[in-house]
Amino acid sequence: MNTGESVLEKINVFSVVKNAITEVLPDVDSESVDIEQNLKSLGANSIDRTEIVMLSMEKLDIKLPLVSFGGVENIKEMVDVLVDAFDGNS
Amino acid sequence: MQSVGIEMLNIFGGSAYLDVDQLASHRGLDKTRFDNLLMKEKSVALPYEDPVSLGVNAAKPIIDALSEHEKDRIEMLITCTESSFDFGKSMSAYMQDYLGLNRNCRLFEIKSACYSGTAGLQMGVNFVLSQVSPGAKVLVIATDISRFLVAEGGGVLSEGWSFAEPSSGAGAAAMLVSDRPDVFQIDVGANGYYGFEVMDTCRPVADSEAGDSDLSLLSYLDCLAQSFSEYQKRVPGADYRESFSYLAFHTPFGGMIKGAHRTMMRKMFKTKADAIEEDFDERVFPGLVYCQRVGNIMGATTALSLASIIGNGMFDSPKRIGCFSYGSGCCSEFFSGVVMPESQARMKTFGITEKLNQRYRLSMDEYDAVIEKSATVRFGTRNVKPDIGFMSGVRESMGFPRLFLKEIKEYHRLYEWVQ
Repeated sequence: MNTGESVLEKINVFSVVKNAITEVLPDVDSESVDIEQNLKSLGANSIDRTEIVMLSMEKLDIKLPLVSFGGVENIKEMVDVLVDAFDGNS
Repeated sequence: MQSVGIEMLNIFGGSAYLDVDQLASHRGLDKTRFDNLLMKEKSVALPYEDPVSLGVNAAKPIIDALSEHEKDRIEMLITCTESSFDFGKSMSAYMQDYLGLNRNCRLFEIKSACYSGTAGLQMGVNFVLSQVSPGAKVLVIATDISRFLVAEGGGVLSEGWSFAEPSSGAGAAAMLVSDRPDVFQIDVGANGYYGFEVMDTCRPVADSEAGDSDLSLLSYLDCLAQSFSEYQKRVPGADYRESFSYLAFHTPFGGMIKGAHRTMMRKMFKTKADAIEEDFDERVFPGLVYCQRVGNIMGATTALSLASIIGNGMFDSPKRIGCFSYGSGCCSEFFSGVVMPESQARMKTFGITEKLNQRYRLSMDEYDAVIEKSATVRFGTRNVKPDIGFMSGVRESMGFPRLFLKEIKEYHRLYEWVQ
C-alpha cells in the first residue's frame, strides 16, 4: 500500500531506527544516515545490527521473531519489515 | 527423587593449535572488528586425528578411573557429532572397541548440529531416570572437527563466513552420566526446549560447511529468549539474574555470547551497560576460558563451556549453573544443574588446562600444510595411510597416551595408541 498514511508511518519508523542506530553506534551522526545505506557501512558488526533491530522493536512496541530480519540488506528493508509488522498490529 | 547427572566430565582439545590473531592477519580480516569477537586460539585436527580419535582421547581418562565393575555398567555409548565419516555406521562402535567397553551396550550416534551433545546428555539423563536398568551408566561423547575450508561459491550463504575459519576448532567432550552426579547434578524436569526450521548454518556437502552467520545469530537470540521463557514456565520463580551463579553457553565465539547475555539482561531487567559488563565477567566469562582456547567444537561446545566453569569458577558452596545449548537448523535448550565444592577437585584430576597448555603451537605455514594434508583423508576415502612422519613431533610431545588414526583400509578405520 502506498497511502499517505503508510508513507508517514515509514518516515516515523525510519526516525526511530535512526535513533536506535545512534544509541548503538554513538559515533554516527543521525542526520547523515541514508535509508538506502546498509548498517555494515556505518560500522556495525552483526551483534550491533541485531541490537539496532531489537531497540527499534522495543521503541515501536513490536514483537517479531528476530529471524524475520534474516536476509535484510539495508536500512530500507529493515524499515519495511517493521512497517509491515506495524500495519499488522494496528 | 532419583538423582542424576554427570559423574565425570573430560575435554580433549586436540594436539595442536593456532593463534587466531595470526590467522586473522594472514587472511586479511578487519582487525578492529575481529578484536570484539573475543577469540584467542583454535585447536586444529591433524591429518591423523579424526572425531573417533578425539572422542576416545576425551573418554579414556574417565574409563581408566573406573573399576572393571563400574566400566561394565556402561550400557549406552552415544556419539554426538556433525563430523562423522559414514552415513550408516555409528562411530560409537569404534569407540566401544578402543575403550574396551562391555558389548551389552547400546551404540548409536546423534546428529543435530551443535545441539547434539545436549541431545545426548538428555538422552542419558532420561535413561538413568527411567530406572529400567538400575545403576547403569551412559557414556556421552560429543566430538567434532572442522577440517576443510568453506563450501565454495557466492551468495548469501558464504557472505561474512570468513569469520567461521578462526572460530572453528576441533575437540571432544566426554560425559559419564549416572545416578552419581559427582560433577554436575541435573535439575530434573528443569528444561526449556525450543526449535523450528531455519536455514542458518549447515553441512550440505562432505568436509565443508555453509552458512548465513547473521541469520544464525538472530536465530540463536530468538532461541535463547524462547527456551529460557519455557524454562521459567516449568521452574516457577526462576530468574535469569538471580537463580544461576554461572551461565554456560554454546559458544561459537566469545563476542557472540557477550552480545547474547547483554541482550537478555537489557531486555529482562533494563540493566545498564557497565553493570552488564560486570555481571558478564563474573557469571559468564569463566565459561569462555576453554572456549577461547579450543574454538567452536560444535556438538561439544556447551559441555566445553560447562567444563570451563567447573574448572575456573569459585565453588566454595554448591552453585547452580544455567546452560544454554543451540544447534543450527534449529533446536535449542535451556537447562540447569548444581556443582558441589568437591566437583571441581574431581574434574581437575583430568588436568584439562595443563593438557591444553601442552598442545603444539602451529605456525601459519604449518597450518596451511595441515589443511593441504587433510585432503588425503577427506570424506569417502577408501584406502590411505596418513603420513605419520608429518609433524611427527606433535604425536609424541604430550606425555600421555593418545589414539591416532593409523590407516583407512577398505573404508575401515584402524587406530593406534601413541605414548
